Amino acid sequence: MDIPPLLLQTLGSLLAILVLAGLAVLLKLGGAPSLASGEDVRRAAAEAVDGFEAIECAASRDGTAALARDAEGRIMLIKRHGNRFAGRILTGRARARRHGEALEIDCGERLYGTVVLVLDDPASWQARIDAMG
Amino acid sequence: MPEFSPTQYAVPLFVIAVLAEMIWARLKRPEAYEPKDTLVSLAFGLGSTVAGALFGGFALYVFIEAYEYRVFDFGDEWWAVWWAWPVCFVLDDLKYYWVHRAGHRIRWMWASHVNHHSSQHYNLSTALRQSWTGAFTFGFLFAIPLVLLGFHPAMIAICGGFNLVYQFWIHTEAIGRMPRWFEAVMNTPSHHRVHHATNPRYLDRNYAGVFIVWDKLFGTFEPERDDEPIRYGIVRQLGSFNLLWAVFHEWIGMIGDIARAPWRHKLSYLLREPGWSHDGSRETSDMIRERWRARTGQAGPAAGSVANGNPIAEPREAA
Repeated sequence: MDIPPLLLQTLGSLLAILVLAGLAVLLKLGGAPSLASGEDVRRAAAEAVDGFEAIECAASRDGTAALARDAEGRIMLIKRHGNRFAGRILTGRARARRHGEALEIDCGERLYGTVVLVLDDPASWQARIDAMG
Repeated sequence: MPEFSPTQYAVPLFVIAVLAEMIWARLKRPEAYEPKDTLVSLAFGLGSTVAGALFGGFALYVFIEAYEYRVFDFGDEWWAVWWAWPVCFVLDDLKYYWVHRAGHRIRWMWASHVNHHSSQHYNLSTALRQSWTGAFTFGFLFAIPLVLLGFHPAMIAICGGFNLVYQFWIHTEAIGRMPRWFEAVMNTPSHHRVHHATNPRYLDRNYAGVFIVWDKLFGTFEPERDDEPIRYGIVRQLGSFNLLWAVFHEWIGMIGDIARAPWRHKLSYLLREPGWSHDGSRETSDMIRERWRARTGQAGPAAGSVANGNPIAEPREAA
């Protein structure tokens, strides 16, 4: 059976890709940074949007996500993405739903995904997000 | 006509080098890699070769047609004219500088090139995060002057292949600085880390492929600083490992903006710099840098700098 060279090369490359990605897992590369403190959240917020100076922060208890508010009243949602963080300043498209202490936030961007935070005071954050709509 | 693709021959070296860097990461910097990010980067690389095979024919056709109108003729055995090779390589690298600069300063081009910048990591797998949609931009037209000068399309393709292979090794944090003379002339990991940074100071800087001298010549050079940690990726990080979203997100955003924009602004969303908006609701890299400068008191660019001198970014409407 004759296999076209391009197909053979593609299959070989695909195999190499899977092997390398598997090795990255086996070597335990990556890690899981945590938003454990207010300082962590402030730093992540400033990195997500240059110049964003958080004056109020709330980190999820598992350290995977956080909310931050600046002096202009902007609220940023930050989530762990791989072993980095990615943030979005929430707009009127954002929706927040509370389940006990958990706050589920949809920033309105489907591929960014819904983020669940377990907070001490989810109601006040929900109220502020709802007020944007 | 010789059939030779430097990148194809380099693939095994790419794999071995990524493997070696992973072992370095395991020992020194485990956070330098993220398995999902690596998988996406490598899938980008594979997809780009398939896309090139599927869609590269049009550019080749244009080059072969343009070659008929060449000014200089190196003869039937053009490949045997030894001095034409280094000349072609240098001119192709100059071409690369400008096509790369256009890739950052014209949204149509950025829609494709953003693929290469969409990782928040900077490692050798990031080098393989190549675009799938380059054929749908006009980047190939930048090579037409070389063809018209008389360089055969195959010679340009081979030189471009070596250029791409050279750029592979500079996508790493494992190497700090090269010897001073090397840093002065060549593109290096240090220079290219700056290029992949989202720090306002570093945005849209160091477009070089092989020779960093182009950036120094055209006013876009920025040295890496030891006192400023680099953040990699794009200004608005994707926050998703969805491969197709990573490939097409900017195209989708741009087409949506064009569809929604008033008629007189539609062309601007295609040809002006990323981040430009007709109502000022978004920020370009220049605006981000100026805001950062104002906030931190950093000095502005030297008088006469042409760093921001993209004619398309002039403060007038393109439409």
